[in-house]
Amino acid sequence: MRIGTFGVVEDRRRLQSRITALRVVMSVIFVLLLGGFWFFQVFQHAKFKEMAENNHQRTLPLRAPRGVMFDRHGEVLVENRASFNISIMREHSRDLDRTMRLLAKVTGADEAQMRETVERHRREPSYRPIVVVQDATLAQVAAVTARRLDFELPDVVVQQVPTRRYPADALGAHLLGYVGEASEQQVADGVVATGTVMGQSGLERTYNEILMGSDGARRVVVNSVGREIRTLDEEPPTEGKRMQLTLDASMQRAAEEGFRTTGYWGSAVVLEPATGDVLTLVSLPAYDPNAFAAGIDKATWQQLNTDELRPLQNRAIQGRYSPGSTFKVVMATAALEEGVITPETKIFCAGGGTFYGRFFQCLGHHGWMDVRHALEKSCNTFFYTVGNQLGVDKIHDWSQKLGLATKSGVDLPNEVESIIPSTAWKQQRTGERWYPGETISVAIGQGQVSVTPMSMAVMMASVAQGRRVTPRLVKATSNGGTWEQVQNPAPAAPVTLKPDTVSAVHDGLWMAVNGAGTAVRAKIAGRDVAGKTGTAQVISLQGRQRARGTGRDLRDHGWFVFMVPKDNPELAGVIFAEHSEHGYLAAPIARHIIETYYARKEGRPLPVMPAVPGTPGFPAAPAPAPARPVAGDGADEGGVR
Amino acid sequence: MFERRLSTHLDWSLLVAVLAIAVIGVVMIFSATGGASREYWTQIYAVLLGLGAMVACMVIDYRTLVDKAHWIYLALLLALLAVMLFGVVRGGSRRWLDLGVFNLQPSEFAKAGLALILAKLLGDLRRTAPSTQDLFLAVALTAGPLLLIANEPDLGTAVTLLPVLGVIVFAAGLPLRYLGIAAVVAVVSAPVAWMFALQDYQKERIVTFLDPEQDARGAGYQQIQARITVGSGGVTGKGFMKGTQGQLRFLPVAHNDFIFSVLAEEQGFVGVVVALGLYFFVIIRSLDAARLAKDRVGAYLVLGVLASFMFQVVYNITMSAGLAPVKGLTLPLLSYGGSSMIATLAGFGLILNVRMRRFTN
Repeated sequence: MRIGTFGVVEDRRRLQSRITALRVVMSVIFVLLLGGFWFFQVFQHAKFKEMAENNHQRTLPLRAPRGVMFDRHGEVLVENRASFNISIMREHSRDLDRTMRLLAKVTGADEAQMRETVERHRREPSYRPIVVVQDATLAQVAAVTARRLDFELPDVVVQQVPTRRYPADALGAHLLGYVGEASEQQVADGVVATGTVMGQSGLERTYNEILMGSDGARRVVVNSVGREIRTLDEEPPTEGKRMQLTLDASMQRAAEEGFRTTGYWGSAVVLEPATGDVLTLVSLPAYDPNAFAAGIDKATWQQLNTDELRPLQNRAIQGRYSPGSTFKVVMATAALEEGVITPETKIFCAGGGTFYGRFFQCLGHHGWMDVRHALEKSCNTFFYTVGNQLGVDKIHDWSQKLGLATKSGVDLPNEVESIIPSTAWKQQRTGERWYPGETISVAIGQGQVSVTPMSMAVMMASVAQGRRVTPRLVKATSNGGTWEQVQNPAPAAPVTLKPDTVSAVHDGLWMAVNGAGTAVRAKIAGRDVAGKTGTAQVISLQGRQRARGTGRDLRDHGWFVFMVPKDNPELAGVIFAEHSEHGYLAAPIARHIIETYYARKEGRPLPVMPAVPGTPGFPAAPAPAPARPVAGDGADEGGVR
Repeated sequence: MFERRLSTHLDWSLLVAVLAIAVIGVVMIFSATGGASREYWTQIYAVLLGLGAMVACMVIDYRTLVDKAHWIYLALLLALLAVMLFGVVRGGSRRWLDLGVFNLQPSEFAKAGLALILAKLLGDLRRTAPSTQDLFLAVALTAGPLLLIANEPDLGTAVTLLPVLGVIVFAAGLPLRYLGIAAVVAVVSAPVAWMFALQDYQKERIVTFLDPEQDARGAGYQQIQARITVGSGGVTGKGFMKGTQGQLRFLPVAHNDFIFSVLAEEQGFVGVVVALGLYFFVIIRSLDAARLAKDRVGAYLVLGVLASFMFQVVYNITMSAGLAPVKGLTLPLLSYGGSSMIATLAGFGLILNVRMRRFTN
């Protein structure tokens, strides 16, 4: 043996002790390791278990489709379509900055806007997806999906979500409303979570809770690059309730066609007097609610808000106008009900009358007039006289009883109050007392009388029905099974008119259309249309002088209120045509709606609106209705004169 | 050379423990790679080849091997030089020699080679303690392969040579004052190294280790994920192939560096106790082999081979629990890696060799 002889005993002992030292060191290390694993696996297990689950489990919201809306005959008005949202889940971002840059590049989206969106949601929990591209195109979805396959965008998710589809021609835009992401205020009010899509206007807003349904959720397992491996469980969303509206889509379409054919902006409201069902509710110009459904872009929103024609305003409930001669319907009803006159009372018209030392003009020398003829001829002198006898407070009371003062109570948000002056109202507003002379102007719908088309329609329906009518927009709701009828709302204060009053007013309005009246353009052979025109001054004569040259359209507005047939009316409504100057130019629109109603009722083909002489839309061939009427296309300015 | 009666002195319990760990490793690789993958089969072949290497290292008397240690050492240096010149590049470093059938990683064999040459150098001494000259020679012999390996670059494997040197020198009677001096030097040089020697990315790693949350998406990610993996395993684990962290790739190179984390996740604390117990048994049993060795050469050889094994086991398991900075250091016997498996089993062949021959002349 050449090597490896035993060393000295001392040497051997030192080796043994050093090996023992190593053994002790290793024992200590292994005890420490065991303690470490015990600490993580036993002591802190719950914490790490949760962290592991957060790692690989994601809860994806399944957005509930909003309830479908139908018209009264079952035609689909608003439904849902599948769309894709591209969102960022910051929880899984390794480099948010890079993600946004890359995402903007592959989708062609505006990077600055994307950053702004992410910044706005910065404070929210990072597991909540931030939608950066709404209603993505298939090309965008494909681009993102491909990147995800390359593990490049693990923090980006593409979700399929139901999105609202409104009629392509913006039919009933103001009535149906639109949806949008909950505003900061709405979130602060605690009704909904951020990012929730909810009704922001129209019926979408009023009945948001019914339409919204409840979102579901899907728990999935994802791997480290965010790819879904499998679904753990799924709670399906509950679709919002279906709603059957009182609206008649064909009449609504006819009304909008009527405005386009004549070339006016304005509003139309048609009710079924017996029920208060709103059959038609038009406000033009309109906007495209589809633009809101997929998240409206800033430029469009800006434009809609600054447009002088105010396309976002629902003129039917938010526009207030002087009613002009159409107010005489209220005057006649009030005078008859109060007993100031009987249907046979005659008043002499000599082309006007002097009240409180001032001469008030009539447009004709009508001679002896009873209430029927006064309505037919729209005799001012007659109504000056009865107005003077009634006094402004009685006029106010009857306006309120007929639904013309205050709000109509229709189930739409942000309705404004119609104003019919009274002594108390003036006292409160200006601190001055009411001068009886002011009543004379009020008697023919001028002065401070200012009403919405909707309240006018309610008044007409109430007069038609002989009792106060409350408008409603929803007939029934359903979970997909049977329809549950919605209870008719009770009027604030039920009023019933005397049969004598009803027949006298109806006769007068019938004569206005069918006799020697002002509204012969609404006459339909075989249909007893009854109606009344009116002209609303946009500005006083003095004001007109001052406003000259400012470019404002100062031409008067035209009104036409109607009911049909004269006895037991099936329809009552109002047409308000901006700057049409004469109420009779609004009447053909009513006529078209009425003809459409009967054609539909009797199963005949729906009529086509003929051009109306004297309107801006004439004589040029009526342009086809633009698919998306955008405010400010100049149809009004392009008129005659 | 191999006498039948030697088999009666073979340490069967150590052999069984080593093979048990290797089998557990194969099973965990099966799980971590999602089934009978290429890695799984490679590992099985490596175990079989390693058993061959182990037998080869057992049958030849270790004294003969130590006697020829300088040739083995030289062959090793040549192999490492060959890697430098003709090596296969993978993942940015040149570590492998293409042998046609498979790629060999010579650096894995450097540990045993170094143990042999150092055992020869220090075991032959007639002095009671190594002289300064001996120590310099030992350091020089270590530096050669270490620098070649570090140059590949494979800092992790290079570092495993240091325990070989340290433990053999320590066993050979290094005066304890040297240890004291080494400790002082380490403390003093740390700030200097921090300021001048370390690259930015290396500093970052250290900072991240001390506070992983600070960089939870970058360098600290793996460390946090390792803790989550281990911690979420609980007492009994999530079950075979049911670990979410490993299976869904939240933990990188799960079959390799983080195989112990996968085991902890799927088999829980129970599995950890079993695995740690086996490793502890293997180490204590090997230390016994050194204690019982017939001569100093045998003892040094056992300790040298064991040194890198202990170092890697302790470091990797600590790292697997997210308690040490993440380094590309595998867990011997458990991690995926053919060369490592063969070299490790060969090393245990040497350890068994020494114990087996403690009564022979």
